[in-house]
Amino acid sequence: MATSTPVASFPSPYEIETPPGCEGWEEMYPYYALFDERRREADEQRFWFWNSMHFPLPMPAFDAMCIDSPYQALGTWQNRVFAVPPAMGIDYRCVNGYIYISGNPVTDPAKVAERAEFFQKRAGYYFENWETLYESWKSKMAALIGELEDLRVPELAEYERDDVAFRDDGHTSFYEVLDAYSRALRLCDQMWQHHFEFLLLGYGAYATFADVCKANLPDIPDQHIAQMVAGIDVVLFKPDAELRRLARLAIDLEVDPAFVEGRSPGEIDAALMESDPGRRWLEELEKVKHPWFNVATGDGLYHYYGSWLDDPAIPYASLIGHIAALKAGEDIERPTEQLARERDRLAEEYGALLGDDARKAFDELLALSRRVFPYVEEHKFYADYWFLTRWWNKIREFGALLAEHGFLNDGEDVFQLSRHEVASALDELVLAWATGGEPLGPKHWPPIAARRKALLEKLADWTPPPALGVAPDAVRDPALIMLWGITTERVRDWARSQDGGTELTGAAASPGVVEGVARVVKTVKEISDVREGEILVCSITSPAWAPIFSKITAAVTDIGGVMSHAAIVCREYGLPAVVGTGRATAQIRTGQTIRVDGSAGTVTIVG
Amino acid sequence: MPAPGAGALTRPLTLPLAELGAADSSAFGGKSSALGELIAAEIPVPPGFAVSTAAYRAFVEAGGLERMIESALARVDPDDVESVGAASHSIDEAMRSAPVPETVRAEIVERYAELSGEPPVAVRSSALGEDSHEATFAGQQETYLWVRGADHVCDAVRDCWVSLYSPPAITYRARLGQTAAAMGVAVQLMVDAAVSGVMFTCNPVTGDRSMVAINASWGLGLAVVGGEVTPDDYLVSKVTREVVREHVHSKEAEYVPDAGGHGAVRVDVPEERRVAACLDRPALDALVEVGRRVEGHFGSPQDIEWAIARGAELPASLFVLQSRPVTAAPAQEQKPAPASALSLLMGTFGAGRDT
Repeated sequence: MATSTPVASFPSPYEIETPPGCEGWEEMYPYYALFDERRREADEQRFWFWNSMHFPLPMPAFDAMCIDSPYQALGTWQNRVFAVPPAMGIDYRCVNGYIYISGNPVTDPAKVAERAEFFQKRAGYYFENWETLYESWKSKMAALIGELEDLRVPELAEYERDDVAFRDDGHTSFYEVLDAYSRALRLCDQMWQHHFEFLLLGYGAYATFADVCKANLPDIPDQHIAQMVAGIDVVLFKPDAELRRLARLAIDLEVDPAFVEGRSPGEIDAALMESDPGRRWLEELEKVKHPWFNVATGDGLYHYYGSWLDDPAIPYASLIGHIAALKAGEDIERPTEQLARERDRLAEEYGALLGDDARKAFDELLALSRRVFPYVEEHKFYADYWFLTRWWNKIREFGALLAEHGFLNDGEDVFQLSRHEVASALDELVLAWATGGEPLGPKHWPPIAARRKALLEKLADWTPPPALGVAPDAVRDPALIMLWGITTERVRDWARSQDGGTELTGAAASPGVVEGVARVVKTVKEISDVREGEILVCSITSPAWAPIFSKITAAVTDIGGVMSHAAIVCREYGLPAVVGTGRATAQIRTGQTIRVDGSAGTVTIVG
Repeated sequence: MPAPGAGALTRPLTLPLAELGAADSSAFGGKSSALGELIAAEIPVPPGFAVSTAAYRAFVEAGGLERMIESALARVDPDDVESVGAASHSIDEAMRSAPVPETVRAEIVERYAELSGEPPVAVRSSALGEDSHEATFAGQQETYLWVRGADHVCDAVRDCWVSLYSPPAITYRARLGQTAAAMGVAVQLMVDAAVSGVMFTCNPVTGDRSMVAINASWGLGLAVVGGEVTPDDYLVSKVTREVVREHVHSKEAEYVPDAGGHGAVRVDVPEERRVAACLDRPALDALVEVGRRVEGHFGSPQDIEWAIARGAELPASLFVLQSRPVTAAPAQEQKPAPASALSLLMGTFGAGRDT
């Protein structure tokens, strides 16, 4: 695979034009996030790809916290803790509001060898003590979420509480506001720190198992490898399982007539409140909500991806669907026993095809992969969904405080300021509150927020190229390969499809061939536009999207591998899926007829 | 039952395929004994009988051909195409003018009659020796399809024997310094194939044993085996039955039974059927299932000829016509030395011991 010439060349990051009317977008991001002339020489020679998996839309200024913090954490674990020999951390840059990333390789063989010593010892320790460490991880996350929930955003009253005067607790409101805000930011850093603790090792075990499978069984479909490893009773499936249970309960309690298509959650709740069984059902719902409604409606990294708690329309739509299916006599259960049997049968049959030595490696790595996979599958729920949706809401409380004092027109505008600007606004707010003087903030911040909202809206219409700069001869960074599915082949495909074309290739994630009408869904808000029988074309999906999988006939995503959410769900529903096409949402338009071949990993625009 | 002839008490001239096993390959050739094994393993194989190498020897002895063959071969220089051709031609003439001895003939006639109703049969040579690829190379793989009537069956058996002395066969043996030769013959009920082809119970290109590779075309198997059409090409997971790859090609020609009732003829495939896939999901499932069973029986990847009969329902319409081990499994041999799980894991992170 290695060649001496670059596999492909993409546009220079320095030659990307600003879309008309978007001049000045740079003000939303930190100075170090830009392709700056002062490091042009180096940056132009690197390979950058659009991280559309995590950042499919232009970044609001505040949300950039969820770029810095994760890359600080990922780099720390990969580079400074485990010292993954050939790769340090991930750098990012922002172009027209979109995030491009690039790995930092270690090229000096002596350095690689030195790092290998660290890695073997430290990673070895983690693999050996996985269960204990993971249990402790879950406690850490639970404690962290608890701390976040307990974090109080103080009010700024005209007079301080009596306690301040009489009990000498030393905590005045100005201090409490500033302290709460900095603690909120630190909690987020802490979450990201936990988030990446096991990630590389978990994916690495899986990647190694996949390599062993492919070395011995060159034609084995990726999806079979994934099926052998995937957990059956993982947290990922729990929210929808709970909804199915609630659907059955609604029928048992004979309150199902309340669930009418087209009714809002509020209207359904009101109907249920009218009867005892209805109220009983609502009580049961309350129990389910915590924690299972903490699933994000998007992939979690934008402030507007709330949870089911914030937007109950999604779980209620799912409930309506499940109830209708049950009443039509359909079986809506996940066939967990059958899935478990099939998973074991695959492992047994593939294993039996191998020679003794290969069989041993296969068995050991399969066992290790299954051991580490609960973390791989579950960390998202705890970190990306549960913590992060709560955290955005906490930031909203600061926004509300600023809005209350005229620093913002609307509390939601807090996300148009960077976290440092918010700190600055809060500084002035408590200063003016303390002194009683006239704050400048109310004149300063609202126009900035308004300008940036308009900018983001315009930037959303721009389609970022999948990659920038010069591609390496081969992709070797384990993180890029494992977490983003960026392989040498994928980079070549992107290079080929730069001029458009009617065929896209990606990972064959779920078998079958389907032709149908495409529905391009760029944001979670557009989910409700999906019509029965359409093919979903999106950047990435999350468990919150579950309800639409019963409507669609196939799925195509921009980013993701065979273990991505869309791939897992499509295999379960028996829908063809091609994931990681790079630019399906850019190249395919709603209404076009496309052909999805989930066995070959190709998508063809038919017309 | 044919009466055991004199001298054939210990060495039968013919036997039903169902009575053969692996131990009979030296007396009946590899193909017949493998068919016997398949029947014993309850693989659907068209019924029939086998003619032994003893029958061949009886034929040669009765016709006084031994000396003639010997002297013709003595003049052969394997590097001299003309000398090979001349020897082949003179042996061919001599063998065709010699009658099949009555003892042999009577047994063949009776075995054929046991199949009842003068059915069309396939008459195939069943070469000696383990490595049937060698036999292919040596031109010892004659097949006569749609043979009907006892006389024609006897002629076809003799034609198989004659093929022992085709120019390539003579050259091949001469190079190895062999002179003596013998051959068995398999006679099986003809499958009136709607579709037929070849299946490998591994991917012959990559050596992946979790795959079944299937080539299929319309009509009798000649078109696929002889490479006369580009067959439909399928790669199916042995483990999940998923079709991993499927290429449907335009199949211009097919072999069908001759209207006169004897032999097979090549005809053009009508336009609309050419590009139609000749296997559907149930057919692929049935093939993979049979392939797994055959491989399971022999314990190694197999190269299987198969046919799906007209006018019957799957899986009863699927027949295995022959099976032999896949000798070359390229990728499997090039595999790197197996490493421990831990060192492989370290390798993923670029932290292998040798980095």
